[in-house]
Amino acid sequence: MLQQADEIVLPKRGLPGLGALAGLWARATAIPRRDPFAFAGLVMYLIFILVAIFADQLITHNPREILFDAEYDLARNLPPGGDHILGTTYSGRDIYSQLIVGTRGALIVGVTAAVSVVTIGTIIGLVAGFFGGIVDTLLMRLADIALGVPFLPFVIVLAAFLDPSQWNVVLGIALLLWPQSARVIRAQVMSLRERAFVEAARVTGAGPWRILFVHIAPNVLSLSFLYASIAVGWAILTEAAISFLGFGPSDSITWGYMLQDAYASQALGRGQYYWFVPPGVSIILVVVAGFFISRGYEEILFPKLRD
Amino acid sequence: MSLNSIASVRSVVATGLVATTLTTSATSLWADAGDPIRSLTLISRAQAANPQQFQAAELIAQAWRELGLDVTVQGLPRPQQSDAVWYNRDTWDLTMWQMVGRPERSDPDEFVYNLFHSSTAPKGYNFVGYVNPEYDKIAEEQRLITDKEERKVLIDAAQDIIDRDQVYAFLVHPLKTYALDKTVWDASSMVEQPGLGIKNFWTFVNAAPVGDQTDMVLNSSDELNAINPFYISGATDSWITELIWDRMMRIGPDGLPQPWAAETVQWSDDGLSVTLTLREGMMWHDGTPVTTEDVVFSFTAPVDFAPMYKPFVDGIEEINVVDDKTVVMTLTTGNAAFETSTLSKINLAPKHIWEPLLAGLGEGENAESVLEETRIGSGPFKFNRWVTQQEVVLDANADHWSAPKMDRWILRVVLNVEAALGMLRSSEVNFMSDYTGDPDLLIEAAEADGDLEVIDSVDIGFQYVAFNLRRPPFDDANFRRALSAAINRELIRKAAWNGYAVNANSHVSPALVFWHKDGIAEGLETGMDLAKSILDEAGYEVVDGRLHYPAGQTEAFVE
Amino acid sequence: MGYVLKRFVQMLFVLWAVATILFFMFRTMPGTPLAAFIDSTITEEQQEALIAQFGLDKSLGEQYLLFLWNLLQGDLGQSFFFKKPVVEVVWEVFPNSVILTLTSLIVAYLFGIVAGAYLAWKRGSWVEGMGIPLVLTTRAAPEFWLGMVLLAFFSFYLGWFPSGGANSSGAEWPSEWQRVTSADFLSHLALPAITLAIYLQGLPLLLMRSNMLNVLQEEFITMARMKGLSTWSIVMSHAARNALLPVATAFALGIGGAVGGNVVVETVFSWPGVGRLLVNAVAASDYPLAQGAFLMITFVLVVMNFIADISYHLLDPRVRVAASG
Repeated sequence: MLQQADEIVLPKRGLPGLGALAGLWARATAIPRRDPFAFAGLVMYLIFILVAIFADQLITHNPREILFDAEYDLARNLPPGGDHILGTTYSGRDIYSQLIVGTRGALIVGVTAAVSVVTIGTIIGLVAGFFGGIVDTLLMRLADIALGVPFLPFVIVLAAFLDPSQWNVVLGIALLLWPQSARVIRAQVMSLRERAFVEAARVTGAGPWRILFVHIAPNVLSLSFLYASIAVGWAILTEAAISFLGFGPSDSITWGYMLQDAYASQALGRGQYYWFVPPGVSIILVVVAGFFISRGYEEILFPKLRD
Repeated sequence: MSLNSIASVRSVVATGLVATTLTTSATSLWADAGDPIRSLTLISRAQAANPQQFQAAELIAQAWRELGLDVTVQGLPRPQQSDAVWYNRDTWDLTMWQMVGRPERSDPDEFVYNLFHSSTAPKGYNFVGYVNPEYDKIAEEQRLITDKEERKVLIDAAQDIIDRDQVYAFLVHPLKTYALDKTVWDASSMVEQPGLGIKNFWTFVNAAPVGDQTDMVLNSSDELNAINPFYISGATDSWITELIWDRMMRIGPDGLPQPWAAETVQWSDDGLSVTLTLREGMMWHDGTPVTTEDVVFSFTAPVDFAPMYKPFVDGIEEINVVDDKTVVMTLTTGNAAFETSTLSKINLAPKHIWEPLLAGLGEGENAESVLEETRIGSGPFKFNRWVTQQEVVLDANADHWSAPKMDRWILRVVLNVEAALGMLRSSEVNFMSDYTGDPDLLIEAAEADGDLEVIDSVDIGFQYVAFNLRRPPFDDANFRRALSAAINRELIRKAAWNGYAVNANSHVSPALVFWHKDGIAEGLETGMDLAKSILDEAGYEVVDGRLHYPAGQTEAFVE
Repeated sequence: MGYVLKRFVQMLFVLWAVATILFFMFRTMPGTPLAAFIDSTITEEQQEALIAQFGLDKSLGEQYLLFLWNLLQGDLGQSFFFKKPVVEVVWEVFPNSVILTLTSLIVAYLFGIVAGAYLAWKRGSWVEGMGIPLVLTTRAAPEFWLGMVLLAFFSFYLGWFPSGGANSSGAEWPSEWQRVTSADFLSHLALPAITLAIYLQGLPLLLMRSNMLNVLQEEFITMARMKGLSTWSIVMSHAARNALLPVATAFALGIGGAVGGNVVVETVFSWPGVGRLLVNAVAASDYPLAQGAFLMITFVLVVMNFIADISYHLLDPRVRVAASG
């Protein structure tokens, strides 16, 4: 996914000011009609978001509570059915409730990471591309450095040395993955700043910051969205990997945590597929939904690819 | 030697979850209650690293909340836990902790002295900060008494004091579970050592192959650290060092030291000097004979070069070579545990190899940083090779007086338990020496397979909750007693250790049959009602659902 | 050549910057470096001796200069845990990581290139309609989860492959080459390499496909078609050749990325590699080793970025004009 940036060719047009936003909206709403997979992605996102919002209403048990049966014995390794839709874990927790609550954790990590990385990337891309010169050189060398740091090992080190928290993943993504979007946006801005509408704004006496954020920024927002929809998936996958390696927080339930728990508790050996398949499939669905949407966008942004 | 494990005590007592009736007046009738007790954090290893311990911590926190305490469980990786507890002794309140079993811990001295003697409170094992002159005196005296029965009285007294003061809330002695492939190894040739199980030195020299497979393939769930006779590194490493390097004595299958490289061990009447006669014909793996010079070297080098072994040779005043087979060691004071903690612990290392190496050490370096890759010893196994993250291979030393029956001893590093079980089932491993998973699953696998035998035994080590006695309210024995009483041990044993553990209430494991005080775990009275009445009598009060200090006492640690 | 030199200097700069960041990150992290020695009867003097031994008693500035000086000489310090030079520990497992990475990348790229070209050729058909979402799904599956499932099925259940490690217990070979070409090693390599390849094939496949689509629209293809050549032969002999360059660049970048990204797969399959070494070193607070493994991964990543950049620049005339940043 790091390299997915290479697949993205620059959009060839630029719309001035708010008109660009309107155009973007029109294009976004055009997705369902043009690309069924992007539409499916949007629907999946919507479902996951609803599940995350109404998680408290959907769960049947407190996902962290240790459950006991009528004889006060630990309710461990119960098969699906009855009181427990997906059964219980080795330590006596309700799997279904963990899966539901895990949606919230995944989306929070995914969206926060995506917003932070794309915000950083967009601002740096805008500033570097618009001002050029020494500012540009400095920012691009900074990008070289960020790209020179191995991503997953870096997040592992952060997660191991800072207090265990899912924000370590967000921090790692924000610190290292912004250059992808920054570089593409920078190139886009470099071409935009020579356009007529920017010249027009300049003539009317608009200051550089005003030109940058009012006239140019709306034109690169679609690119930012594209990167954001990819970053959501990246963040969720990374969080899962970190939790799986045992560097996740003990006090929050995510899909990665569930998979780690299942693996450490020998769910494979016991054949408890109802424990390790649902979180894995959930991760795939959320991430792939992001991919579908980003591809839908891409094809709208770059209609050249369509026959 | 029999396979009968002393371990299969699995009485299933149906106990209630937690009694919830309230006996104390939980109202603010007394206007003069002390400050509310601060919010407390119970530190534990992270769920991923030690699920049993984390589960126990959550159960304990649930129980303590019923007493009116605000408790949160914090799972930490080991470095952070060590940092929070071991290196910063004044700032933590509660932590889950464990002590592990080792052969030399077959003598109660190490736990009795180190865990609770006041001298180890600032930097050593007494990290809870227990200071009790009465206990110190007993811990010191038991070292000096060589008569077993007399010493037993003191060891019992030490256990009673810790029980009375509830310095730790002891939880369980876990059962260690091992498995072997019966089509490869003769199950009757395994040796059970109390507190260690069948994974021990005696099994490795005794194990008899039944077929063509003459390599024992074992597993370790930890990465190996070092193989060095002067360095006490990881637990797994010590299985290897004790096979390569001989010792003057060895802890026998009965838990007592027995002569090994020393053919005879003779004490003087005052218990201050011991005469050791070296066994005839001992050879280093490179073919040179083992001499009394080597013995002297092995016991003196640690003073300057092996900091971890230094404490064990500190009590030796001098060592004299009498003739080419005999040495006499003179001690500064009597030491009941000398055979266990010194003669059975110090590795015999070849002087001709190590002396030049130690002479070449730089400033601040010691024997631990020496990478001696031939690893020449005189033990029943010879070092063959060590492939990082993969395996260690030892070859049987056919010339040893106690030569192993197997050809090679191969330890595989398998970090996750699922893979380890898979390897056992596919015969990639034929002796499961480190199983961290659910014992039920291992037993199921054995039943399905038919070729596997599962053997478990009680550990010398134990799991417990440690209170920081430096910080009120944990300085109050009544408060600790109440917290300990609120823990349902039976529930913990079943829900956290899946029943594969025995209840604990002493730092001397029931695996040490002679030293353990019988009935001390059963004698511990527990129950939520009891816990509440102890608190009530000591003056603690519940006001608006929150536990408060006795009248007049203020909270010294503002949240 | 000016460009190459400039990029080379940039690469050195990045290596220095990352090493510096790493150094300060490891030194300012909470937790004492001595935590690795917790379970020992260690006294206060011994602690001080250890601190001196690892140079931790010097000022941060001094430590940093010493670190850089040693780094220049290829000395990454002494591992707290193994008590031997970090370089030695890392080198021992490095070949395993490289072999795993290269094998899975080659498999992934061979498959990806052919399948990508095929999907471009089949543009608009149901094959493409199903193929693209499927490829995206493989890229969305967590590698460790995929590994778990493959391990459970092919190893635990069917017993076709060993459960982990790189070699059978106690197996010996006269040379490293014979070891890595032995059937034993390859059977251990199969599952982790397949797991990684399933994840990695998505990128070359999608890249190849979109490049092919671009190339297929160009004039010389139309010319070839007019000459009456069959479509598939045009695809393979003319278009593919022109579409391959970006894929080759991605391959170089892939090596750099995958060596670090293998961490989880190495863990699932108990594969003795640099990634697992890093995870264990971090868990054991072995700062020098964690730092060394990290630097090794960084080195591969940065050098591969450099090679990819240079080759792209030298091979594709179109980039030369655009490359000004």
